[in-house]
Amino acid sequence: MTYYLQLLLNGVIAGSIYALFAVGLTMVYGVFRFINFAHGELIAWGAYLVLLFMHTPIFLPIYYAVLPALAGTIVISLAQDRYVYRPLRQGSRISLLIASIGLSYLLRNGIRLIWGSDLMTYGLKPARGIYFAGLSITLTQISMMAAAVFFLGSLYFLLTRSLLGKSLRAVADNIQLASIMGINMKKVSLAVWVLASVFAGVGGILLALDTNLEPMMGLTNLIKAFAAVLLGGAGNVWGALLGGLCIGIAENMGVAFFSPGYKDFISFALIILLLLFRPGGIFGILVGVR
Amino acid sequence: MAVKEVSFELGNAGITGLVGPNGSGKTTLFHLITGFYQLDRGSVYFRDQLISGLAPHRISQMGLVRTFQQTRVLPFMSVLETLMSASPNQVGERLSSIFLRPRAVSQAEKENMERAKEILEFLRLTTLADQLASRLSFGQQKLLELGRVLMSRPQMILLDEPTAGINPTLIRQLVELLITLSDQGIRIFLVEHNMPLVAEVCQEILVMDSGSLIFTGAPSEARQNARVIEAYLGSTDHAA
Amino acid sequence: MDYLIHILIVALIYAIFAISLNLELGYTGLYNFGHVAFFGIGAYSSALLSLGGLPVSLTMVIGMVFAGIAGGLLAIPALRLSGDYFGIATLAFGEMVRLFFLNERWLTKGPMGLPGIPRPSWIGQGIAGLPMFLLLCALLTLIVFLMVRRLTTAPFGRALKVVREDEYVAQALGKNVLSLKIRAVTVGSVLAGLAGALWAHYITYISPSDFTLNETILVLLCVVLGGRGTNWGPILGAVVIIFFQESLRFLPIPPDLGRFVAPLQGIVYGGTLVFLMLKRPEGLLPEYKA
Repeated sequence: MTYYLQLLLNGVIAGSIYALFAVGLTMVYGVFRFINFAHGELIAWGAYLVLLFMHTPIFLPIYYAVLPALAGTIVISLAQDRYVYRPLRQGSRISLLIASIGLSYLLRNGIRLIWGSDLMTYGLKPARGIYFAGLSITLTQISMMAAAVFFLGSLYFLLTRSLLGKSLRAVADNIQLASIMGINMKKVSLAVWVLASVFAGVGGILLALDTNLEPMMGLTNLIKAFAAVLLGGAGNVWGALLGGLCIGIAENMGVAFFSPGYKDFISFALIILLLLFRPGGIFGILVGVR
Repeated sequence: MAVKEVSFELGNAGITGLVGPNGSGKTTLFHLITGFYQLDRGSVYFRDQLISGLAPHRISQMGLVRTFQQTRVLPFMSVLETLMSASPNQVGERLSSIFLRPRAVSQAEKENMERAKEILEFLRLTTLADQLASRLSFGQQKLLELGRVLMSRPQMILLDEPTAGINPTLIRQLVELLITLSDQGIRIFLVEHNMPLVAEVCQEILVMDSGSLIFTGAPSEARQNARVIEAYLGSTDHAA
Repeated sequence: MDYLIHILIVALIYAIFAISLNLELGYTGLYNFGHVAFFGIGAYSSALLSLGGLPVSLTMVIGMVFAGIAGGLLAIPALRLSGDYFGIATLAFGEMVRLFFLNERWLTKGPMGLPGIPRPSWIGQGIAGLPMFLLLCALLTLIVFLMVRRLTTAPFGRALKVVREDEYVAQALGKNVLSLKIRAVTVGSVLAGLAGALWAHYITYISPSDFTLNETILVLLCVVLGGRGTNWGPILGAVVIIFFQESLRFLPIPPDLGRFVAPLQGIVYGGTLVFLMLKRPEGLLPEYKA
């Protein structure tokens, strides 16, 4: 029994990070109406940039390295939009899709070029497990969940209480109407990319803290984020959050039933099943708030 | 826009108009008839056969063919190719036939081209046969869409705003074409906003408002009908 | 001389692979980003059966059949999805197939791969067999090219293009859109299986890492660079890309810089995709003059 509870706990921890990824991806979809294949690389670059700032020649201790790393991630996403996505938005969908695949391939190989293909870590002392009620959790994992709660909670307040947040929701709802009503599209676009990249970067760093860094981490987590987005209904922020938690839990509990080599398989299979049977998502109908 | 209580029967001959203020559900009705939208309740019959629930391509193959409100001409095909692509049930579309019956395929293509040229002549577009569809004027594209619909030798055609946005000379030509087609036995059902045209060309009109059918009868009667007047005036009120 | 033959063989195999993707992507407008799955199924089927003792010419045909069946099975449910979602579903499918190759060790020997795959009996083993293998590839490529050209110039190809440009119009004109798409995917999968089987019997060693997203991006690049929706385009694209890729292998690169080659290649490929979409989406051989 405790075994399953531990798996569930692991699932919630992983899921809170996936929720961060999924929320960013779904917000971009909600405003720009396309799935950014390169979103995964924001996750990866966020994590790897911390490494950059930690090592030569800057040698920042890890917690100071996070800020410039996130700033770098924001720059990457804004550059993506400015040089690739914005010019292509008017054109055909397939061009946008192929360009985002190409961009993600480019960014992924950029990581391999600079840091190589081997697994890396931040080189911190391994986290101690804290035991309670027969379950174990590390300090790192606690801070992962705390960070996720903090960011998602802030997002809630942003979306419901601030003018920017309301503009965001208006644009996601009906982009033509929103711009006619005078909402500043440039500000909204900027806000979405900043939010998406910060969430992706933070999630990537936390994930790397708990596990490790490797060049494929962007793609692997993109698939999971995408499954979560689908679960919750594309464009639905709270659906994506719940979706992320579900994916985390499903993955970790699934390990009890079949070979760990198939862990990623769960997300893939879920994607296909959802697309075939409930493309609107499971939570698309339950959660009304966008 | 929901379509609510609509029930009507179109006879075998003539041209019927479907009119009504914007948003009354005319195009939705077309979608429902031709299978692009699914009906929640009710049924659609075409020549005594139940067609509701069938896929749009099946309905088209049965002889009920439609156009769309926005021009949907494929820009990169030539005019001739556009028409030739519109023939239904082409032998050359079957994989097995392409390799096992090549002569049947080229024969069918020849006949296809003959038919396409006939229609081009009917539409007076023959000189444009090899032009890319994107180079045609808006009005010529609308004619091309009509031609496309005719390629399948339809029994009935549903035209969604065929004269929208085209110049009066071309409208004249289109009207003559429609009357000729009707005389040849093709049943025509069209959505239009151009009231004088409707009055001239249609023996009967249906008026819709807010998803319901509010009038069936001759165009001249419609002008006197209280509900029809209210529908149009009412909608002008909303706009103001 | 030998390395020229090698490059030509790989280029021809990729030409067949690209022609098959072009039929789905270029003509029918289906974003099949998991196409490498059928390449892999063709490869593994033919390899396993020939290692089991069956003659290579037979196993290659069986490989093609298996690939075609898999394609048809995927197509029937997946083709109900709209463009973007079909792309992601096929991507997920491609990864699932790779995971299957990786984890079902009893069948595929997993990450160890399958060494010692035989050549067709009338072709010699090793280097001596290369010229004959080249002849085989050239013949097959010619047949595939002629066959696909026949399909695309026939009304079938025209109907595919109508489906690609506007599904509603296609339906209104009485075209059975789903049936056309399924046929395109099935033919594409069969041909991809042929390319995969040729690959297996040429390289004589395959492993799951030969059938990843990287290969999908490579063949996508061949199709997009060469010219989508044309008959010569995929061949041109394959020749350009493969000549570039394989000749890099033979450049004298100092050993300590060797690890940069693959990522740099990746950056060039990703960048080319982005650049093409921005500046010349129709590729080298445009389908029509705008």
